[in-house]
Amino acid sequence: MIELSIPFLLTFSGVLLVVLFLFTIYILVQRKREIRFAEVRDTFLQNSSQHWYNYLINDEIFSIALVPRGRAQVAAIEIIFSSYLKNISNEKVERKIKEFSNLYLKNFYEKDLSSKRWSIRMNALYHIADLQIEDLLETCLQFEKTKISEEEYFQLLKIYSLFQPELFIEKIKESNIHYSESEYRRVFVLLEEDVFIRLFEDFNSWTPNIQFAAIDTAAVKRNMQYIDQLKQLLTHEMPEIQIRALKGLYEIGVIDEVDPYAPFVTSDMWEIRLMVAKIFKHVPLNYTYAYLEQLLQDENWWVRSQAAKTIAENREGIAKLQQFMESSNDPYAIDMARETIVRKRGNK
Amino acid sequence: MKVFLDFCMWFFGGFILFYMLFVIVSYCAMFVIAMLVMRKRYKLDPSEYDDAHTDAFYSKPVSLLVPAYNEEIGVVDTVYSLLNLRYPQTEIIIINDGSTDATLQTVIEHFRMKPVDKIVRTHIPTKQVKQIYESEIYKNCILVDKENGGKADALNVGINVSQYPYFCSIDGDSILDEKSLLRVMKPIILSDGEVIAAGGNIRIANGAKMQLGSVTETHLPNNYLVVMQIIEYARAFLMGRIALSKYNLVLIISGAFSVFSKEWAVEAGGYSTNIIGEDMELVVNIHRLIRKKKEKKRIEFVPDPVCWTEAPQTLGVLRNQRRRWHQGLFESLWKHKTMTLNPKYGLIGLLSFPYFWLVECLGPLVELGGYIYIVVAFFLGEIYYEVAIILLLLFVIYGVIFSIASILFEAWILNTYPKPRELLRMILLTFTEIFWYRPLTLFWRCEGLIRFVLRRSDWGNMKRVGIGEKEKSI
Repeated sequence: MIELSIPFLLTFSGVLLVVLFLFTIYILVQRKREIRFAEVRDTFLQNSSQHWYNYLINDEIFSIALVPRGRAQVAAIEIIFSSYLKNISNEKVERKIKEFSNLYLKNFYEKDLSSKRWSIRMNALYHIADLQIEDLLETCLQFEKTKISEEEYFQLLKIYSLFQPELFIEKIKESNIHYSESEYRRVFVLLEEDVFIRLFEDFNSWTPNIQFAAIDTAAVKRNMQYIDQLKQLLTHEMPEIQIRALKGLYEIGVIDEVDPYAPFVTSDMWEIRLMVAKIFKHVPLNYTYAYLEQLLQDENWWVRSQAAKTIAENREGIAKLQQFMESSNDPYAIDMARETIVRKRGNK
Repeated sequence: MKVFLDFCMWFFGGFILFYMLFVIVSYCAMFVIAMLVMRKRYKLDPSEYDDAHTDAFYSKPVSLLVPAYNEEIGVVDTVYSLLNLRYPQTEIIIINDGSTDATLQTVIEHFRMKPVDKIVRTHIPTKQVKQIYESEIYKNCILVDKENGGKADALNVGINVSQYPYFCSIDGDSILDEKSLLRVMKPIILSDGEVIAAGGNIRIANGAKMQLGSVTETHLPNNYLVVMQIIEYARAFLMGRIALSKYNLVLIISGAFSVFSKEWAVEAGGYSTNIIGEDMELVVNIHRLIRKKKEKKRIEFVPDPVCWTEAPQTLGVLRNQRRRWHQGLFESLWKHKTMTLNPKYGLIGLLSFPYFWLVECLGPLVELGGYIYIVVAFFLGEIYYEVAIILLLLFVIYGVIFSIASILFEAWILNTYPKPRELLRMILLTFTEIFWYRPLTLFWRCEGLIRFVLRRSDWGNMKRVGIGEKEKSI
């Protein structure tokens, strides 16, 4: 057996070494190709940046030299477009980029969508959404019928949300795939206001992750038209929804009455009490001090800390905290009040 | 006598051969899994995710904990690298663990730290905090000066002081890439909290050029000892971490760069101060807690966020490090020995623990035995030659071939070592590994085992070496 094993192991090691040798050559060749690709890309970038600036910003006539010939030049254009889209908010520039992409980049991404490699297809989907290549919507619909991953489906949802919001709503309703809150938020912020309003109005028909993301998106939009609906959610049976609704109302920052929030001061959940302490920042202190004093003596450190901060934010807050320190018997609350006063003075 | 010797030689020869085959098959399986995982992501444009998540709306705030003991040279760079991070909401908490050098003064002066009166919540009991400072330049930068209690105690103080739901521990001599935190947080954010801890990939910074906390250029260092460590890191990365992470079997995420959910870490008791491998201990304790609470939670290793760290450049320092690592590993495994093959802990008990015992912990003993066997066999001659040659070939497959495969695969997928000459130099060096580096590290790891058995532990603090050279671009 041993006699057989030595030649076997020698052959085995030899074969492996040859395979690794070939792999090394492949990597070195690949490196060379990558370097060449980068050179072409960088040359195009260097030569065309000024033309792009003239075309996109200075309204100069479109030059045929800007049309990409080959992948490396497409990569250069992707870099240029990405930098304009990230750094400049200008409808005209966005429109021009969209028009160009629909005309000259469409075919590249259409081909990429049929690639066997998942990463290439994903990159194509990213670019279709980022560069708004609406002409590929039909191709995307066909692509959806093939066997695709959850990540690809999510990118498709993003594309639908941009080009056909109705279809998007339909798709997330029928979809069995559950994405994270963060992913839903990424799509929801892209939605047109009217589509998002409809989605938000349909609140109870969504899964919790969509509900959470919808509340958070409404909050980040800081639009007063969501206040009433968020207030309604304060009576929702799920505490998490209540907390998010409170957080949303805090973010929007318009509190016109104290009464709806008063019952939460004695909530069983410290997260809810914390959010109320935060919300009271947006209300004059004389309406909320009694509640905040109660929260300053809360059993939870975060609640006490927030209550002290909220009081200190007010013009008379420091005086109120000092008064409290003199009259209170609660050592924890006194410590918190003292720290907040010192910090507030230090900041000044 | 001869019969006894024959029996011993056959028995040990067979045992070592069987063991080596087992290890090679295990590594092969993990390598294939890692290849499949990494292959999928090849050429995927990560900027889409990075760009989207630099907005606080899509991410979660993180407290960055930097424990520092006698890090007067490295700590400023580390803090700068944290200030350079592309992440929307962070606070940096530097914990001076009673340094005897000028760490405290350096940080105070460099970041204009001002003493503040701050109440600290004691989630985890720790040594006393002397003073808390806040930077006048960077409002999110805090310095905590405390009594010396070791790295674990310093991290626990950091957890107590932190205000965010996640914390990230970073060694006082490490440098993070600007997108590292964004990417290590990716599984946590995308899983809606199902992932409760994540660790990043550690790479060696020796030979890199740095400026204000950023690695600007990497070169393969001239020091062979450091190059061997680079190869070793690549192999550990491909033949272990990725595959184990895929099946939620990770027992070690490096303390040099890892993120934890504060809630879970606190519930698991924080970092243990009476153990050498405090990072492994926390991960194992969290696994226990997950099982106890019967919750569907995961601990992941994320391949692309990179944390740069300084590798030992001398045999003495490397010996200390390896002895310590191995002693820590053995200590943690021993402490949780009841989890081994215990179905109550699922795959962690049935696969992870046996793997760490057999391959990672006791492996050096068997391998070193293999080396001794080869030497003895050549003296004894006769048929033992053949067993010795087989063993040597297995060492070649294990040591040389796996190392080359790891370097090449990492170079291909992650585009590391871009210069062909550097790549070839590394490949050539792997052929020498089994003759010097491997036996040396095996010996040191065995020393670690012996030290554990003798209950020796003279590394009470977290003193590290070789950091001071960072700016000189070794």
